[in-house]
Amino acid sequence: MATSYGGYMGKVADIDLTTGTIREYPWSDEERRLFLGGKTMAAKIIGDHLAEIRGPLDETNLLVISTGPFTGTGAPSSSRFNVSAISPLTGILTSSNCGGNFGYYLKKAGYDALVIHGRSEKPVWLEIHNDQFTFHDGQSLWGMKTGHTQEALDEALAEQSGGKRRKNGKIVIGPAGENLVKYASIVSNERLAGRGGVGAVMGSKNLKAVTVSGNHTVPVHDKEKMDKLNRSWFKYLRSHPLTGDQLPRLGTAGLISSMQMKGQLSTKNYTYGQFDRFEKVNGETLAEEHNIVNKGCLTCPIKCARTVQVDGKAVKGPELETLGLLGGGILNDSMELILRWNYELDELGMDTITAANTLAWAMEANEKGLWNNGLAFGDTADISRVWEDTAYRRGIGDELAEGSRALSEKYGGKEFAIHSKGMELAAYEPRRAVGLGLGYAISNRGGCHLNGGYLVILEGLGLNVNQQTPHGKPDVTIIFQDLMEGTSSCGQCVFTTYGFFPPPLIHHPHAWYTKAFNAIVPVAGPVLRLLTMFPQVVCFHLPMIFNQSKALKYATGMKVTFGSFLKAGKRGYTLERLINTRLGISRKDDSLPKRLTDVPQVEGDEKTKVPLESMKDVYYRGRGWDKDGIPTEKTLKKLNLDHLAVSQMPAGSCMQEVNQHG
Amino acid sequence: MVNIKLFGALRLKCGISHMEVYSSSVKDACRLLSKATGFPEKDFKNCMFMINGQNARYSSKLEDGDELVFLTPSGGG
Repeated sequence: MATSYGGYMGKVADIDLTTGTIREYPWSDEERRLFLGGKTMAAKIIGDHLAEIRGPLDETNLLVISTGPFTGTGAPSSSRFNVSAISPLTGILTSSNCGGNFGYYLKKAGYDALVIHGRSEKPVWLEIHNDQFTFHDGQSLWGMKTGHTQEALDEALAEQSGGKRRKNGKIVIGPAGENLVKYASIVSNERLAGRGGVGAVMGSKNLKAVTVSGNHTVPVHDKEKMDKLNRSWFKYLRSHPLTGDQLPRLGTAGLISSMQMKGQLSTKNYTYGQFDRFEKVNGETLAEEHNIVNKGCLTCPIKCARTVQVDGKAVKGPELETLGLLGGGILNDSMELILRWNYELDELGMDTITAANTLAWAMEANEKGLWNNGLAFGDTADISRVWEDTAYRRGIGDELAEGSRALSEKYGGKEFAIHSKGMELAAYEPRRAVGLGLGYAISNRGGCHLNGGYLVILEGLGLNVNQQTPHGKPDVTIIFQDLMEGTSSCGQCVFTTYGFFPPPLIHHPHAWYTKAFNAIVPVAGPVLRLLTMFPQVVCFHLPMIFNQSKALKYATGMKVTFGSFLKAGKRGYTLERLINTRLGISRKDDSLPKRLTDVPQVEGDEKTKVPLESMKDVYYRGRGWDKDGIPTEKTLKKLNLDHLAVSQMPAGSCMQEVNQHG
Repeated sequence: MVNIKLFGALRLKCGISHMEVYSSSVKDACRLLSKATGFPEKDFKNCMFMINGQNARYSSKLEDGDELVFLTPSGGG
């Protein structure tokens, strides 16, 4: 279905693995305008088929791989792609975003998105080259780890091209995906769609890999203006203290020390917020002693990825989450071990966040006598074997493969199973960043810091807003969530949204205006709520600090302002919530483990826990959801989602399936 | 004697992770760091400060045995 908009290839492929047939998935310009692309587009597609999906690992589940209108237009950090499905880990909608180059090459192949369903009888891999789809026997790849699989695919493509290397993007799964580990990831070069078990969904379909290549070009509505904007946008991001200095120099790992100082570094399964040996496993040590070279995705000026050596081989270094959760999280102070484990988990195709948190939960369960599994905090001798056993579902690994929620339901210990809606939290300890605590709890895909609005950037890391006050935080959370939702749906990295903070605010933490900003946020709730309720009043573009709305206009030709961009993000976020409500999600599920809401981090200081319920009330009001967290009909109408109202969207049964079968 | 620790981008730029100095205030510590590293005093002034784990200001006083931490504002994912 061709499109009148720039920024899109105008085609979505519907791939039925059961029959091996390829069709064009109907996707109209009206849907492009309302749902942009990426995770919002995927949510709409999955929502439309919700009643047909019998379970996350059933052949009826959809695996939607989508790009956005920025992908391939030269916009900074825009080569990303999104993978969405009903998650085998959580039983609800999940979306996992990945860098690298797959998104770019998918468009070069002529497509904006792939909608994959059904199940192949035998393992296959799919080659997409210039609109041509070819299924290949995947049995020789089945069982391979992710690195070897990608090498084998490069060789196979080169063989078809007469020995000449073909530029391509690829996604693969490893043994964890094949063995349906609930938090198996999809790997693309060295980047991962890590969270929510999308690798297991791919494995359940007997799909080992997809390669994309071609020589289509992405049409841009106003190329001259887009190119000019991109040049200044690159320049701005390179000059910004977060995206041009801190992230390039230290990667995400650079946050560990700040988190430690602010009491936000998860330690011993979130028992504490500080790790006494953090200096052995922080970003500075990684940069000074282990990093060989910085790497970045295609078209990215930030280059936040690290390269380190494991057994003499140059491999991707750990992100903050991996470093924090496999460091202080399990009381490990060996950087070398974390580098190795990070590599091993990537090779097996498993999410490091859920793997680390599940391991920490198991260590604590053993310590408390709930589950005799031989694992102990600080005992790091045999963890590599634990990862292998999990990926191949051997011994205790078979149980660890289910994640911490399922294990705590079986053995007890729910109060220290650190998840929300079944997805384990990131490395930020939210009792000393209560706005992030709200974010974790209400995040659509479960315990995610980014999907939760990432308020910790205000709460001590980039700025110094009071870490413990709940005031103003729900309203800021909504705005940040909507900005990131819109940005991600355009196919762009959410790190670009850090440009939203004018550089002087970050550069000068003791200046009067920065102090004023820090003081105003907690009392700005009512004003911010007006913006969240009536985003369309901002009928212009914000100069420089938020270029996304202008870029969307230039790339596509859509009529966009900052306000309508914010509204598109809100539409996406609400749509995801709506789908989840049809899978059984409501207020009761917007939760955190009792350790974080009932036990103060600092003994005797009641403020150092997350005051969740009161923040939820304010958040729901700001979102236009009822007291039970269900979007109201009025809200849906305002967002052009009224045709998807609760009464018209049939309920799915995936949550029941996950709860019954673990 | 005050134990100074540096974290973040500034530490990588100036190449110093820690230092022990006689200093009576954060302001004074910034001056000493500037002298020791050759980096402008404002680079240190524009950090977040923590004294013994508590947020501090440029004007905060220091006492013998204090730990003064310099943090570069940060963000990521």
